[in-house]
Amino acid sequence: MQDRPTAGELVKSVREFLEEEILPNLEDSRDEFRTRVAMNALSILERELAQEEFLLQAEHERLIRLLDEDHIAPGSLEELRERVLELNRDLAGRISSGEVPDGTLELLKQTTADKLTVASPKYLERYEE
Amino acid sequence: MQTEELDERLTELLGTTVEVEDVVLLGGGASKEAWKVDASTPEGGLELLVRRASGGNIYSDTLSLGQEYKVLQAAYEWGVKVPKPYGYLEDLGGREAFVMERLEGESIGRRLVRKEEFEATREALPEQLAEELCKIHAVPFERLPFLPGAQDEPAAAYNLESLERELDLLEEPHPVIELGLSWLCEHVPESHGIVLNHGDFRIGNFLVDEEDLVGVVDWEFAHLGDPAEDLGWPLVRAWRFGKDHLRLGGINEVERFLEHYNTLTEREITKEELFYWEVLGNVRWVIGSHNQAKRHLSGQERSVELAILGRLAAEVEYEILSLLERGG
Repeated sequence: MQDRPTAGELVKSVREFLEEEILPNLEDSRDEFRTRVAMNALSILERELAQEEFLLQAEHERLIRLLDEDHIAPGSLEELRERVLELNRDLAGRISSGEVPDGTLELLKQTTADKLTVASPKYLERYEE
Repeated sequence: MQTEELDERLTELLGTTVEVEDVVLLGGGASKEAWKVDASTPEGGLELLVRRASGGNIYSDTLSLGQEYKVLQAAYEWGVKVPKPYGYLEDLGGREAFVMERLEGESIGRRLVRKEEFEATREALPEQLAEELCKIHAVPFERLPFLPGAQDEPAAAYNLESLERELDLLEEPHPVIELGLSWLCEHVPESHGIVLNHGDFRIGNFLVDEEDLVGVVDWEFAHLGDPAEDLGWPLVRAWRFGKDHLRLGGINEVERFLEHYNTLTEREITKEELFYWEVLGNVRWVIGSHNQAKRHLSGQERSVELAILGRLAAEVEYEILSLLERGG
């Protein structure tokens, strides 16, 4: 086990450094923009570190139900990632061959909303207004 | 870029002694560089914009700079509001480039949709954009044999084929994009012929002043296609810059734009068809976003700006699903 700071705490410290010490001293608007993009990337990472496993498990459950697959509990996070990727490959293949399972749109909407809580929570909030 | 080289090239090109006074690399375009160049000649000062090749492309059907220059020329001769093209340079510091007039105006989407000073412009744009599109769609393209795009009607079939090809090239499962594509395949609308499409007709590529549209820029995605394709693209949510309730690029409602276009062109493009092309535009943009991220991931062009687009693609996916929900 690593000592603190945790991965999330480390990322946060870098984002704060960019925000408080780098950004105010930039003069070029292009540099400023790119720094904001970098900060945004770190925010995504912070949210992902906190939520990845939970969101992947929920997506896994949904996909299994939709595709009528057997439930095999993945042994590790890495396995869970691979399994969800495979299920998505299966779903994408079915859609493209014209066999869209019932409930696909609803499932994808939920999964995409979950992706946005990590990638762009403000977009989701604004969308739902 | 060396000033001496620019002096020499511009002197050859314009046939008069040109002395460059100021050169600034402007931000913007990911696949092309834009240089602001101020120069003097015995006849007076010149305010130029030099567009030069840089990295890779968002879509596979992107024009080379030489081709883009020819399209710009054709549009200019036809009376479309574009910067006056001055000439094409095969080799400027090792890359191809072309030189055009530098129009004064604002193009930054965020400012255009928000700033008070553009209120009158936003009010005038639906009709003015329709008018420019009407002209663009009438530009004769016989002299532009290199244009990619549809050869036969319906042009949508070509769009769908190339989107499917681009999606395959991503080599990742994207069920949302598949679902969008399958809806598009099942709902192909009536064809309205094949015309020159600007290909990136949206807020961000319009130069405006405080009253009017000044110019339509960035012609690198010009191609042959259904006229309704160009009408649907500025509706894509990503080009509303936060003013999401205004479907025409965050500046206005879409009805006036469509009606004026139909009146001028005597075409009868319906709201339902426009919706189709809006969905198609979103599918095109989500694939484009993944392609941008891929340029970073493959090492072709490392950049956090490109990388993050792979994640922001989820925004476009959400929009596609919401549109499908509404459109059935």
